[in-house]
Amino acid sequence: MVRFKHRYLLCEVVSDDPRCRLSLDDRVLGGLVRDTIARVHGTFGAAASSIGFAVRYLNAYTGIVLLRCRKEFYQLVWSALPFITYLENKGHHYPCFLNTLHVGGTIRTCQKFLIQYNRRQLLILLQNCTDEGEREAIQKSVTRSCLLEEESGEEDLSDGGEEAAEAME
Amino acid sequence: MLPPALSPFTSFWRLWRSLVILTGKPWLPPSVRQAEMSNAKERKHAKKMRNQPTNVTLSSGFVADRSVKHHNGGGKPFRAQKQESFSGTSRQRQTRMTHYSPPEPDVNEQSSSKVTFNKKGGWKAGPEGTSQEIPKYITASTFAQARAAEISAMLKAVTQKSSNSLVFQTLPRHMRRRAMSHNVKRLPRRLQEIAQKEAEKAVHQKKEHSKNKCHKARRCHINRVLEFNRRQKKNIWLETHIWHAKRFHMVKKWGYCLGERPTVKSHRACYRAMTNRCLLQDLSYYCCLELKGKEEEILKALSPMCSIDTGLTFAAVHCLSGKRQGSLMLYRANKYPREVLGPVTFIWKSERSPGDPSENRQLWIWLHPTLKQDILEEIKVVCQCTEPTKSTVCISDPLLTPNQEKSQTKLPDEKIGKKRKWKDDGENAKPIKKFIGDGTRDPHQLYSWISPTTGILISDLTMEMNRFRLIGPLSHSILTEAVKAAAVHTGEDTENTPHRWWTETCKNPDSVSLHHRQEAIFALLGDNEKVRQLLLEGVPVECTHSFIWNQAISKSVTENKISDQDLNWKRSELLVPGSQLVLGPHESKIPLLLIQQPGKVTGDDRRGWGSGWDVLLPKGWGMAFWIPLIYRGARVGGLKEAIMHSQYKRSPYIPGDFPDCPAGILFAKEQAKNLLEKYKRRPPAKRPNYVKLGTLAPFCCPWEQLTRDWELRAQAQEESSVASSPSGEESDWRGDEVPCAPTPEKTHQVSDAMGTSLHACSEPRGRMDTECPAQMGTEWATGQDAARRHLCVLRSRASLKQLSAWCGPSSEDSRAARQVPSGGQQELTREACLSLLDRFPRALVWVSLSLLRKGSPEPHAMICVPAKEDFLQLSQDRLYCGPQESKHSDPFKSKIRKQKEKKKLEKRQNQGHTVSEGLEAGHTMAEHQAPTLGLWSGPLPDVTSHCSRVLLGFVTQGDFSMAVGCGEALGFVSLTGLLDMLSNQPAGERGLVLLRPPASLQYRFARIAIEV
Repeated sequence: MVRFKHRYLLCEVVSDDPRCRLSLDDRVLGGLVRDTIARVHGTFGAAASSIGFAVRYLNAYTGIVLLRCRKEFYQLVWSALPFITYLENKGHHYPCFLNTLHVGGTIRTCQKFLIQYNRRQLLILLQNCTDEGEREAIQKSVTRSCLLEEESGEEDLSDGGEEAAEAME
Repeated sequence: MLPPALSPFTSFWRLWRSLVILTGKPWLPPSVRQAEMSNAKERKHAKKMRNQPTNVTLSSGFVADRSVKHHNGGGKPFRAQKQESFSGTSRQRQTRMTHYSPPEPDVNEQSSSKVTFNKKGGWKAGPEGTSQEIPKYITASTFAQARAAEISAMLKAVTQKSSNSLVFQTLPRHMRRRAMSHNVKRLPRRLQEIAQKEAEKAVHQKKEHSKNKCHKARRCHINRVLEFNRRQKKNIWLETHIWHAKRFHMVKKWGYCLGERPTVKSHRACYRAMTNRCLLQDLSYYCCLELKGKEEEILKALSPMCSIDTGLTFAAVHCLSGKRQGSLMLYRANKYPREVLGPVTFIWKSERSPGDPSENRQLWIWLHPTLKQDILEEIKVVCQCTEPTKSTVCISDPLLTPNQEKSQTKLPDEKIGKKRKWKDDGENAKPIKKFIGDGTRDPHQLYSWISPTTGILISDLTMEMNRFRLIGPLSHSILTEAVKAAAVHTGEDTENTPHRWWTETCKNPDSVSLHHRQEAIFALLGDNEKVRQLLLEGVPVECTHSFIWNQAISKSVTENKISDQDLNWKRSELLVPGSQLVLGPHESKIPLLLIQQPGKVTGDDRRGWGSGWDVLLPKGWGMAFWIPLIYRGARVGGLKEAIMHSQYKRSPYIPGDFPDCPAGILFAKEQAKNLLEKYKRRPPAKRPNYVKLGTLAPFCCPWEQLTRDWELRAQAQEESSVASSPSGEESDWRGDEVPCAPTPEKTHQVSDAMGTSLHACSEPRGRMDTECPAQMGTEWATGQDAARRHLCVLRSRASLKQLSAWCGPSSEDSRAARQVPSGGQQELTREACLSLLDRFPRALVWVSLSLLRKGSPEPHAMICVPAKEDFLQLSQDRLYCGPQESKHSDPFKSKIRKQKEKKKLEKRQNQGHTVSEGLEAGHTMAEHQAPTLGLWSGPLPDVTSHCSRVLLGFVTQGDFSMAVGCGEALGFVSLTGLLDMLSNQPAGERGLVLLRPPASLQYRFARIAIEV
């Protein structure tokens, strides 16, 4: 089809410092990645990857970030990501790094992957949990996501639901 | 343009106002517009992103504190929360989760992160020294909460359909099924609900059924017949209409619905069918006029309408006996050679007792529907038939006696019963009758006229009979296979069958023997050798009898037709399915009339091509014969195939090739209109500029002007020759000279006293010269002059024969020598030419052209006279294709452009004020007939000498001929021009002309031939 093809990088911001999360913002993150690319790949790299570059989604609570770039130069972006070591906001440096979870061609595949990934995380959390009260809370959120899944499953167009079901087992 | 009275100020004001109006909306400063635009863009973007999850940042939790910054998380997370809250989970979780969803003020109040996280002992400390707490460590439950919320948001995003495609389009191809969008149940069950919604939406958009009945009711037989009857009220349907409509492109022409051409690609296949096999056509739309009366009265009445000069008349011996069908041209009474009415074919009913002049005869005249009106009126006049009578159909009932039928020995062939008949009372009780015959006809209107003085009865039998035409060598065998002779009734058990007329006939030994003779002759058709013999000798006169001439019998046959339903019912009751159904005495007997068509009769080559049979059958029986004929292998053609047939026969096509009869003129006008419309539909850059190509009239052939210009040309030549040899004889070839008349509009008298016997006579080049014949003095001159007004087509056989001899290259001495003694042909001399021109001034000649080498002619191509240097080049180089026309200049182009600009300006002004509308309207009206770019506007200049080669005539039909293997064309040339050209050409190259299509500059050589 006739369209600009993109690559979507699904990343996770990992940081020890909770303040890092607080200052997590799409503008801040975008600037950070851009600077890093310029540092690593020079002016050419910065220019090449600046076309179509955007932060499509960001969740400060979970630290999930979805970056978009053109398909031609996504490797420049990708290879620059490990060089991000700190998040700078208003003069504060918060050490962190980005963990790439998934590279996809559409937002949709990334979203599907994210669902699966989160579910896996929850299950791991549930298994490792020792505190009774917390265990209950986690249990509830897991069931909630599953309930939601079943509700929407009927009109689910994709095979995401099945995948999720597999993940549950 | 402005009315001159207006001051410049007003015009300025108006101009300004019109500007305002033109923009369509109030003028806005650019910034506002930009804002508007960006709004629209945003809206579009928002619509696209409607289902996508939004960013979630911690700052969104501080809405209460920083009241200005509004949070952006109104998307999925919020909805997810709501669902949860409705599902009745604990209050605690609800509050905890609300920091995702603060748009509602009451929620906002308690959703500050302080409240939330303090309780849980989560993150503490705000950013940049605010009092916000940031959680020191992460508890598993918040972690899980966050994940769960994200999962739900993503799920929502993934499950929502965001594209514009329909549901079934999202399915992979292997899961799609036929008619999925029609029937929701064919979709997988999980998608049915969505599809249902979509279908409901689509139904709204769909146009509602105008019919108040359901599909099943509409398809039920009675309602369908009603509907069909309604639809054929305006244009008559043939009996084979439904069959045709499924397979042909239908056109509404001449008051009928006719199949124009098959939907399948079949041009060549139809030609092959005509040449080697059999082509079937439904010619039921041809009109039939019946004349009844004394033979001598009819002949006397009709003789002024035709001329012996053009060939046979109604009184031709073979035709009069009823043995053959004749064809001739009809003219207005005593107007020959002008005022043609059109070509007709006619057939006499064979006489009962030969030589008895007092006997009533029956004559059928078959003609094309476009000619019917004129010819019918004229025949009514010449027969003095003014009194309408009651329908003739009921008259001939008393004639239905065995005696009568026996003695009525009639035309060509046979009466054959093929189908079976069964008496059915239910059929008569049916309230709705299918239209048979002419649906547009008012049953109470009268279609026959009787003359009190001559006793001639004219009736219009249009659509009372079916006429099928079989063309091609296999038509004999198809006919013999499809039709079989009726069995003679012998038993006494036949009284109650509806075929009383047949039973009566069979009681008479004479008619039975006649029937057997006819049967024997019909059987001969199956054998090719015997067919040839039969064609040579013809059918004995007695055997040309047919019962179809008898209206009463035809009517009873139509009425007693066994319905298809009954027939099929009987078939289904057969003991052995598929075996022959024997109806015995109830079998239908249908009177037929077979007429042989001669095919190509002119010229030397391919004589008899396209011959075949015309089958006449009573109405109502069309489909019963149509299908069997097709099952025997006939291919069906439409109007286009009819044109092809006539083109390969090199005969003029009705009505296109009769430029002198009213129908032909009408046809040309319509064709020109259609072609012009088609031409105008293309942008000027994508269509030929005919002015530059030197084509004056690409869509219609200006015959009148052509002949007139040629006459003037001849006169100019005459003058120069008269000056050298002023003989008195020459003057009757009247040259009323207008040598210096430069414009066709010049209508004032340009009297020019030339010589002694020349009369000062006005010849307005444009129109008729009616005011002057009185000056001509002699009676002869008057008649001639009146006749000169209209063009005519040369149809005198003798003259055509002579012309045809002249046209051939006389270098072929053998042929010329053969022709000269046999026909007593005159040499091509000046005197001969002049005498011919004298009899037929302003005449056209029907010619056929075959191209020497390359080129495929088109209709409206120009036939031109080659120049001397063309012959020179042709003689030097045998492969010489032909000269090229040099490009003309287009004087109209700049004019059109200027006019356009002017119009534009005017439009603007017009919009400003609406007061002086009448004036402006007049203006625009005048400009509506503005010249089209690429077409000659205004009156045509001298058509003959517009291009480098002198124009002789135009092609009316032309195509690559599959019979000859080169381009062939048919058309008309001016007689004056033809004679002029022939006399000037060297004997060796006589008859060579140049052809140029309207959209090309290339001339091609062609040989002209006149076939008699």
